[in-house]
Amino acid sequence: MKVAGLGGIVIAVTLFLGWNAIFVVDQAEQAIVVQFGEPVGEAISEPGLHFKTPFIQDVRRFDRRLLAWDGDISQIPTLGREFVIVDTTARWRIADPLQFLRSVRDEAGARTRLDDIIDSVARDIVSGTHLEEIVRSRDWDVDDAAIEPGAAVPADVALDKPKKGRERLEQEMLAAAAKQMPELGIELVDVRIKRINYIDSVRRQVESRMISERQSIAERFRSEGMGKSQEILGQMGRELRTISSEAERQAAEIRGKADAEATKIYGEAYGADPEFFAFMRTLESYRSMGENTTLMIDGDADYFRYIESTRKR
Amino acid sequence: MSNHRQVVEALFGGGKPSGSGPAGRLPTSWVGVGVVALLALWGVSSLYYTVQPEERAVVKRFGEVVGISDPGLHFKLPFGIDRVQIVATERVLKEEFGFRSVGGDERTQYSNEEFPDESLMLSGDLNMIDAEWVVQYRIGDPIKFLYSMREPVRTLRDISESVMRRAVGNRLGSEVLTTARVEISTMVRDELQAAMERYDTGIHIVTVELQDVVPPSAVQPAFNEVNEARQERERMINEATKQANQQLPLAQGQASRVIAEAEGYATERVNGALGETARFRSILAEYRAAPDVTRTRMYLEALGTVLPNVGSVIVTQDGQIPPVPLLNLRDAQPSQGGAK
Repeated sequence: MKVAGLGGIVIAVTLFLGWNAIFVVDQAEQAIVVQFGEPVGEAISEPGLHFKTPFIQDVRRFDRRLLAWDGDISQIPTLGREFVIVDTTARWRIADPLQFLRSVRDEAGARTRLDDIIDSVARDIVSGTHLEEIVRSRDWDVDDAAIEPGAAVPADVALDKPKKGRERLEQEMLAAAAKQMPELGIELVDVRIKRINYIDSVRRQVESRMISERQSIAERFRSEGMGKSQEILGQMGRELRTISSEAERQAAEIRGKADAEATKIYGEAYGADPEFFAFMRTLESYRSMGENTTLMIDGDADYFRYIESTRKR
Repeated sequence: MSNHRQVVEALFGGGKPSGSGPAGRLPTSWVGVGVVALLALWGVSSLYYTVQPEERAVVKRFGEVVGISDPGLHFKLPFGIDRVQIVATERVLKEEFGFRSVGGDERTQYSNEEFPDESLMLSGDLNMIDAEWVVQYRIGDPIKFLYSMREPVRTLRDISESVMRRAVGNRLGSEVLTTARVEISTMVRDELQAAMERYDTGIHIVTVELQDVVPPSAVQPAFNEVNEARQERERMINEATKQANQQLPLAQGQASRVIAEAEGYATERVNGALGETARFRSILAEYRAAPDVTRTRMYLEALGTVLPNVGSVIVTQDGQIPPVPLLNLRDAQPSQGGAK
């Protein structure tokens, strides 16, 4: 029993030591064996089982994958003096774990260095560039005709193609930041501008500019409506007058012709005996005398010739 | 089994001498059996795994990827030697930008929360646009998805925002709000896919769909005002057209009437003339046969019909007082008669 107990202890110790001598490197990891804080040998990037001296040596693990970095949001003035909020993002990996371990120790350390480097690079580039340059890209292709009629494009915004454009600026940022990376054991894969926007106070100004622009467009629509309406009404008036005057002209013509014809007919007929016509017409016109007429007739008139005597005169 | 017992005893029961007596042996062996049973249970339960139809499993042995297994039941080495990571490769996943849907039972609901940081962006003419969009993606390659980037989904979000801002920044605000939507979503999809391939993330972008693309909320009333003004313009034009449509046919009818009336007048006039002259001619013919008698007859007939209707007839003679001052007598008579 004593032997068995001793054997058990030996086995336990062996197991414990063995356990400490074996380490697993994951597919996602790379590792460095350190002895009293000093790296031993090359970095291990092969996943699988690996061995080290138990207790004396220690393993530092680093991620082998591509890592994301997201900067703090910073307020930067552009070359045009507008303050903008710039949010950058980058992708990086630990390319040289030994160098990485020596210079920044761990990811937290790397992050603070990346913050400093990329922020300052972004600040340098953004503050040396006009806002349009950062917003637009090289394949900017806007023709002036596409601009909404009446939309007041602010005078200080030219619609030119950018000289560099967003991607070139991003490339410049990457190039500038990447220069400082080898000494950190880091490979910077890309730097991108994730967000760029006006700061709040500028945003309100831009909003009120947009509002006034919209209002001017609305006003133009309204006055266009009024103008068109007036135009239609004017045309209507013209047509109305044309129609009625045309009709009146025709009517007058027709009447005139008829009058002329009647005159001709009368003339021809009455010309046969004008005196008799005058006599007959006059007699007919007497018929229109009525109650309100006071007629004075001379006693010598033909009508009264028989009043005093019936003799034949 | 006895070896196991020994190991177990060495590890757990080793402190106590094993031969202390039957009363002491019983608990020790029970602990041993319990531990062995637990180990066996762990071993068996970590011996197999199942993969659902929409999933794939990445199998790692001592941390190293050794293969991918298809859906179904699979066996592996126990005790953490083989480890399995399950990735839903067939499922279409989505990332939302500028809004979040919260799972409802019957239909998707959208939380009222807004994410202006995500959705506000600048257009090429430096106007602000509030765009919401969805990226649908699939994990095409589980190994790459797990082992070439640490946070592939976060990267997808970052790059999606960056690319969307580039696309919107490359166009006029008015285009973004109206005609360029489809163009923007295909462009973002393609660039996002290219970036995912460049980073080897194993993500396959299915679609990028723009949802609400609107001006910032403070500006929206002004945009609505424009729409209203546009409607108002149409309304004013329609009203004027309506008025014209109302009045012009009426005027045309009136014109036709005026002309018809004139024509009527013409016919009447000519017919009148013809009738009258015909009558004149007939009378004239008879008159010529006996002029004097006819003349006198006509004269007397005329006066005979005229005089009874005439209010008063005053016969004057030479040497009499002119009748003019007397004319009022007749009007005064009824009042005199009344005074009698």
